[in-house]
Amino acid sequence: MNTEQSNSQAEVESFAPLAGLLAILIPGAGHLYMKEPGRAFFVAVGVLGLFFGGIFIGGIDVVDRKEDFVWFLGQAMVGPIAFGVDSIHQNHFKARGSRDQVYRSGYPNETRQVIKDPTTGQSIAIWEPRLDSDPGPPNTKSIGKVNEIGTLYAAMAGLLNFIAVLDALFPRRPAGGRRK
Amino acid sequence: MTSSSLMLGLTLSYRPFLDPINAYDAWYLLLLPLALGISLAYKAVRVKSMADFPRHVIVMTMQIIIAMISLGVASFVLIEYLLPALLPMKM
Repeated sequence: MNTEQSNSQAEVESFAPLAGLLAILIPGAGHLYMKEPGRAFFVAVGVLGLFFGGIFIGGIDVVDRKEDFVWFLGQAMVGPIAFGVDSIHQNHFKARGSRDQVYRSGYPNETRQVIKDPTTGQSIAIWEPRLDSDPGPPNTKSIGKVNEIGTLYAAMAGLLNFIAVLDALFPRRPAGGRRK
Repeated sequence: MTSSSLMLGLTLSYRPFLDPINAYDAWYLLLLPLALGISLAYKAVRVKSMADFPRHVIVMTMQIIIAMISLGVASFVLIEYLLPALLPMKM
């Protein structure tokens, strides 16, 4: 191999803050910005497939910033999508137990009701005993292996997106060109 | 069927992405798409040329699956045979 060939195959590391920011916002967007649509597509399919696959397996319960904080640290690296799913979970699927006063998911014999707090006047969600005519809780809390694997899927999605963000932020590409 | 039992049946039906799937007896099969998803995202970033991408994904998926099975077998042998032989429990 002569010097010219080795120079043409040498890799140069650079810094691409906009690509990194896009990669954080939407999985795969950083590579799309760097004109690598094939890589962008498979990063998006892999990361979003694992994240929503985890939710499909274990239900929305697998993304829970308050009850599974350490796992959420990994899931959060999927980006705003993870925070959005968690926000929906916390605000539309959980409520305060009318007896235990714990903010939690509902039991099968409970129904979620939004009432006005008599002291503050704000709307609060509480779990009430369920009558025959009442709908059940809006989701089912997953348990056991299915919960563990669903949580693992979503956390792996975040960790993989972290790798993709780093690759977009500090691209190491062949000198004078981009990867094939 | 009364209206209340109909309502109960409706509310207990499976709702995708809200309720967990009933895979409690075959949970280990869920590791296969997990391995594929990990390989897809990782190799999309790491391979030098996308022409090699499918081969790298298949190889990495198989490596993960074989490693998981090997770890399971090793854990089984350790817990069931090696540890009882090394540290027998006194009854």
